[in-house]
Amino acid sequence: MTHNLLRENGSKTGSAKTILEFDVTVNRPEFSLHAAGSFGSGITAVFGPSGAGKSTLLGAIAGSVKPSKGHISLFGRTLVSTSEGVTLPPERRRVGFVYQDATLFPHMTVEKNIAYGHRLTPKDQRRLDPSDLAELLAISGLLQRRPSELSGGEKQRVALARTLATSPELLLLDEPMSALDIRLRGIVLGYLKLIHRELAMPMVYVSHSISEVLAIADEAMVLEQGRVKTFGTARRLLNQVSTAEGDAGDLTVDNILEGQIVESHTSGEPGKVRIGRAELTAPTGHREFGEKVVVAIGSQEIIVATERPVGISARNVLAGTVASLDGDGPRRMVAVDCGAELMAEVTASAINELDIQPGKDVYLVIKSSSITVMDAFRD
Amino acid sequence: MNSDVSIVLLSLQIAGLAMALVIPIGIATAWLLARKRFRGKFLLEAATTLPLALPPVLVGFVLLWATGGNSWPGRAVNSLFGVDIVFTWVAAAIAAAVVAFPLSVRAFTSAIAGVDSRLEVAARGLGAGPLRVFFTITLPLAIRGILAGVLLGFVRAFSEFGATIVIAGNIPGRTQTVPSAIFTRISTGDDSAVWRLAAVSVVIAVIALGAHNYLLRRSDGEAGKASS
Repeated sequence: MTHNLLRENGSKTGSAKTILEFDVTVNRPEFSLHAAGSFGSGITAVFGPSGAGKSTLLGAIAGSVKPSKGHISLFGRTLVSTSEGVTLPPERRRVGFVYQDATLFPHMTVEKNIAYGHRLTPKDQRRLDPSDLAELLAISGLLQRRPSELSGGEKQRVALARTLATSPELLLLDEPMSALDIRLRGIVLGYLKLIHRELAMPMVYVSHSISEVLAIADEAMVLEQGRVKTFGTARRLLNQVSTAEGDAGDLTVDNILEGQIVESHTSGEPGKVRIGRAELTAPTGHREFGEKVVVAIGSQEIIVATERPVGISARNVLAGTVASLDGDGPRRMVAVDCGAELMAEVTASAINELDIQPGKDVYLVIKSSSITVMDAFRD
Repeated sequence: MNSDVSIVLLSLQIAGLAMALVIPIGIATAWLLARKRFRGKFLLEAATTLPLALPPVLVGFVLLWATGGNSWPGRAVNSLFGVDIVFTWVAAAIAAAVVAFPLSVRAFTSAIAGVDSRLEVAARGLGAGPLRVFFTITLPLAIRGILAGVLLGFVRAFSEFGATIVIAGNIPGRTQTVPSAIFTRISTGDDSAVWRLAAVSVVIAVIALGAHNYLLRRSDGEAGKASS
């Protein structure tokens, strides 16, 4: 169904090729951003706590924020160059933007929303067709609906189609999942990867959730207080953030593990996924046996017990040994080796009461519904 | 009776022309007030509210002074069309427009301010210029509030008396509106004729205000919020 979405001039793939280069300074009275980097044609995450400058950087690329100094170029085209006095208006940058909330036009049908930008795109630049996009994003059946009649996940897919219909050369996503619950996030992430794969669409993805970054991004730039802290592969980012003690701030730290489907049911019932030597009952959806996946489990979703619980509805009870204890606030991170290492968040008082310490045998209790199964990082 | 009908028709015609003037200028003013920051904005705000606070008779006097035969606008109209607008139905419409303007602009401003500006930003990002954004996003989403403002302005223009009588007079068949005819009939003690026109005034006001309230109630829930 997704063949022929790209016309000739659209196939700007080539993994290592730099497509976006920037070196910008934005000075505001209360805040300054200085960031330089070059992003490839993959999915690049911009990651960091609130106020780090993520949205400001995206705004500078899209054209809603005017840099005080610097340059930005996309596929060799200059978007901004303060030394040459060039600042392209947003509508001429060919950069698409998807916002936190879908910002769909409430007085138009889904179809008209998608057509809005498509009609304004010069004919020779149109390479993505609205009806193909609707099919790709599985919203063809919703075209006559109003935005108020859509679910959160549907809205975000319509917003994605609306932006893609302008045939951008680069897609910017500003925390597109923050209004969605964790289950919908997995679905929308899947669509983003599909878009990236099928349309060879380079993306810059702003997020403060490590699990999202890992699930989708090839590379990640970490911003902190308006400066680039690190830039590298998304994997490296995980190691860095998870080893930094008490540095998590408002970052969401989840258990992110690679795994494989070892049991699945066409009925849609929970199947089983193996992580390391542990097997977990989890919503595997329609994934097939042997498929590689990424599993995300919130550290707050895991219960630690010192004796094997019986008569419990939770599908997963894993025996393991406490590997380490981290943190010194009221909430601690307990790392448990149960065939795979999982982090569980436990209150300090529970740690004292249960006498949890490294080497102690414990059981981890995890409801299958608090496990998110996502497609593997990349092909 | 016949003259009553023509008085009502003339009043409707005057209020209609007044609103034709108020709508474009008022919407542009409201857009500036709701969406733009600029130096001297408070002056524009004060100027649009002023006719509401001044005695209409004084507004009429200022208009007479500004459009009369010796003022430059008066001279310009005279040399273009060979007529004075003072003491014509057009003058009455101008007076009604000036008095109705503040009420309409207030309603227009809150209607436009009620549209989620992120939708306008999103439309710009999809390639629409500012004018297109206004006509395809802002205006359709603000339309109920704007219609409510038009109705409010219309009833005010229809009831205008003080400024009208100064700049347009009270000439039967030419500039005599419903309020000025009521004034004449009160002076001559023709009470039953007063009540006939009073009934017409009440009916028009009730219909317009009823529609106004209906529109505002309907727009309350869905004032162009982004569907997130």
